[in-house]
Amino acid sequence: MAVTAARTVVEVGYGGNERLMMNMGPQHPSAHGVFRAILTLEGETVVAVDAVIGYLHRCHEKLAETLTYVQYPSIASKTDYVAAMTAELAYVSSVEKVGAIEVPKRAQWLRVIVAELQRIASHCLWLGTWCMDMGGALGGGATIFLYCLREREAILDLFESLTGARLLYGFHQIGGVRYDIPAGWAAHARQTVAHIERRLDEYEALLEGNAFFEARTRGVGVISRDLALEVGIAGPLLRGSGVGFDVRRAEPYSSYENFPFTVPTETAGDCHARYRVRMVEFRQSIAIVRQALDGLPEGAISSRPGVKSVGQVRVAKGEGYARVEGARGEVGCYLVSDGGPKPYRLKWRGASFSNLAVLPHIIPGHKVADVVAIMGSVDPVFGEVDR
Amino acid sequence: MTVATSAVTAFILLNAVILMVTYVTLLERKFAARMQSRIGPFYVGPRGLLQPIADALKLMMKEDVVPTAADRGVYNLAPIVFLVPCLLIFATIPFAPGLGLADLNIGVLFFLAVSSLEIVGLFMGGWGSNNKYALLSAMRAVNQIISYDLPLIFAALVPVVLAGSLQMSAIVAAQQGLWFVAYPIIGQLAFLAFLVATLAAENRVPFDILEAESELVAGFRVEYSGMKFALIQLGEYAHMIGSSFLGALLFLGGWLGPGPEWLGPLWFMLKAVLIFLLVTWVRWSFVRIRVDQILAVSWKLLLPATLLILLGTAFWVAARGSGGGV
Amino acid sequence: MSDGSKGLLAETAQLVGAVGRAMGMTLKNFLRKPVTVRYPDVPRTYPDRFRGILALTYDPETGEENCIGCRLCEYVCPPQVIKVEMLKAEKRNFAKTFTLELYACEFCELCVQVCPTDAIIMMKSFDLATGDRRELLLDKDRLHAIGLQFEPSWATGNRLRDMQAPPKVAKGEGSKGEGAKGKGEAKESSE
Repeated sequence: MAVTAARTVVEVGYGGNERLMMNMGPQHPSAHGVFRAILTLEGETVVAVDAVIGYLHRCHEKLAETLTYVQYPSIASKTDYVAAMTAELAYVSSVEKVGAIEVPKRAQWLRVIVAELQRIASHCLWLGTWCMDMGGALGGGATIFLYCLREREAILDLFESLTGARLLYGFHQIGGVRYDIPAGWAAHARQTVAHIERRLDEYEALLEGNAFFEARTRGVGVISRDLALEVGIAGPLLRGSGVGFDVRRAEPYSSYENFPFTVPTETAGDCHARYRVRMVEFRQSIAIVRQALDGLPEGAISSRPGVKSVGQVRVAKGEGYARVEGARGEVGCYLVSDGGPKPYRLKWRGASFSNLAVLPHIIPGHKVADVVAIMGSVDPVFGEVDR
Repeated sequence: MTVATSAVTAFILLNAVILMVTYVTLLERKFAARMQSRIGPFYVGPRGLLQPIADALKLMMKEDVVPTAADRGVYNLAPIVFLVPCLLIFATIPFAPGLGLADLNIGVLFFLAVSSLEIVGLFMGGWGSNNKYALLSAMRAVNQIISYDLPLIFAALVPVVLAGSLQMSAIVAAQQGLWFVAYPIIGQLAFLAFLVATLAAENRVPFDILEAESELVAGFRVEYSGMKFALIQLGEYAHMIGSSFLGALLFLGGWLGPGPEWLGPLWFMLKAVLIFLLVTWVRWSFVRIRVDQILAVSWKLLLPATLLILLGTAFWVAARGSGGGV
Repeated sequence: MSDGSKGLLAETAQLVGAVGRAMGMTLKNFLRKPVTVRYPDVPRTYPDRFRGILALTYDPETGEENCIGCRLCEYVCPPQVIKVEMLKAEKRNFAKTFTLELYACEFCELCVQVCPTDAIIMMKSFDLATGDRRELLLDKDRLHAIGLQFEPSWATGNRLRDMQAPPKVAKGEGSKGEGAKGKGEAKESSE
């Protein structure tokens, strides 16, 4: 059955003049960024949701037209600033695809390592902020938030010793990567992922079977399989609703075909299912990082000489779309090139932009308190949404 | 006691309570910080000991902001109506035999009745702020506190029935042999029910749906700042520590403890702080549950359970034959 | 009836277990050492490649400024915060003026990567806060002073380009060691 309306309205029953329009405004502790949700409430039940976005629009696509292929990768990390490595990877992948530029094996494996480490870091942030939304900044949620950030800081330390920056890296460039791993980094990385694996066991013990957590997440925010396929969401949301689609498996990029890993799928479609999917993804990412560190090939880290001038990279005329599996879903870039040093047109497919479209369909019928639980499990980052 | 001595005692008690309440906030912050792998306030004063004073001074110096469309009378009066019952409950708590302001012979009844009056102030704050978030929070608060007052009263009645008196010093005296919390099954269950009901009456996680920072940003006190906010904070923590004192009195034997008589108030403080830390430990470990789940827990679980415990206690006391009639 | 009460007992047992586990976890962390680093009192250890404040360098042998005023950094900078004017001289060129607007800088290190003479580098310092925004508009003297004040990061233009360069064609037995000399840090693959 096709979904024809842009949103769903659930009639609760006691009529028009008992309704309250409440603005869960752009400034809100759990809007995950700047997001305006205009809730229509009857008592505590949400009847309809109107989503308003655009508060973080920074003209990325126009910037891409004015900046060259050398300059833009470090800007690309600012779309999904929480998982910057995968955002940069999407951009450079699309340029390399349109320009038929080779990437050496070592660079591909390094890209895999950092992408998976970034996925772990992003999911740490997701778990922390989601629990904080559900538990309060002055309560158990803040405790789990600080624990998760403690682990994320360990990964950011790894990235800092690799690139020099903690959040926005500029690690990828056209034809390869900018930095090679320093001495001792591989051992440090293994230590870090082992530490995170142990801590993950602790967090699972804290949350699994916890009656409060289960009461807040089971049966809440159910995305049916049909709705998921109709609206076009991706990532853990899709996999939590029974569709086992992962870009790393469907269209392997950057040597992912060399890494065996399972794609976690759950059928329930509620917040708990998405939580389970991401928890399994944590461990799968740790396994991939270990495999990649074990088998890292020797060689160059870039197929093009080091950057000496701003217009160095020219891409042949053509257009193409490349996508990667970001932490939130499918991140892609559609590039139209006219042969010069700058793109003619760049279109970002932001994972969170498509994921947010499902909110007006699944929130109505739930209580106000569920709105934050659902938004947290969708895990939007507004850099991707508004670009 | 004459009026003059009463007034002086009341003044001393009020100041002592306010000082204790401000330092209890520091205790909570340091305790919570250690549980979260960090250190709490550290820089103000030696290891952060002057932090509450700094906070109090800051709040006093802040500008008094009243929203334009707020109902001024109700808005301004709400913090006072909230604070007064929370401070009044300390009048009935005896800190040692004979050391207290008014050891009423209906002490427990007075305590529970007056502490429930804070809900009026709470709702006035939510209404007077002219803010949908505050109103939503106030509606939830009324719902929740009314639902949890009943189990709280029934749980608090268990020691009353066991001791045969509503007077607090008599309840403590009846625990000379064995603390009420140690009585098999009924003691522990009643204490547990008392703790859960107190958590809910205090609006503490997991029952803090009314303030729910991530949804309602501070609930009914979202429009308050400066000294009025300080009064509300004071009232909340005073209620919290007052309930801890009540719990220590009713279940943990009050001032009874090994050592000489004059150590009594110290034991009492220690037990109250322990209950407070237990509540804080729970607060910083759990996510909150939704309002309909909170009400379900109260009406479907806690109320029948406390009724059964009270009934069981009554039968046991009657069968035991001692402990006189209430 | 027995099924109902067994269910209730099992549920209660599970609830008690979950509550116990959660509170046990917080207690465990209570007893762990806090991870806080008391920053201003305890100095921070910077990694080798830290991208901190920018600086201009002098040639260690001749003591001359390294910058030849070629303006490559000005062209590559995405937010265009660098402004350079070249000063022509007999043997080599210099920079007449070199301004860097640090308040708009992205710290992306592209200017460092592009510089042919390793003139502009980043230092290991992030203590950039000032009371006056004009102090963040760095001119040439200030940039040189910063270059002498802090510890430099590993990254310079030539080192980065060497690290990224595709390997040279093998010239014989010993060339593998030579060709990899510039990529010394790239040897960490077998662990």
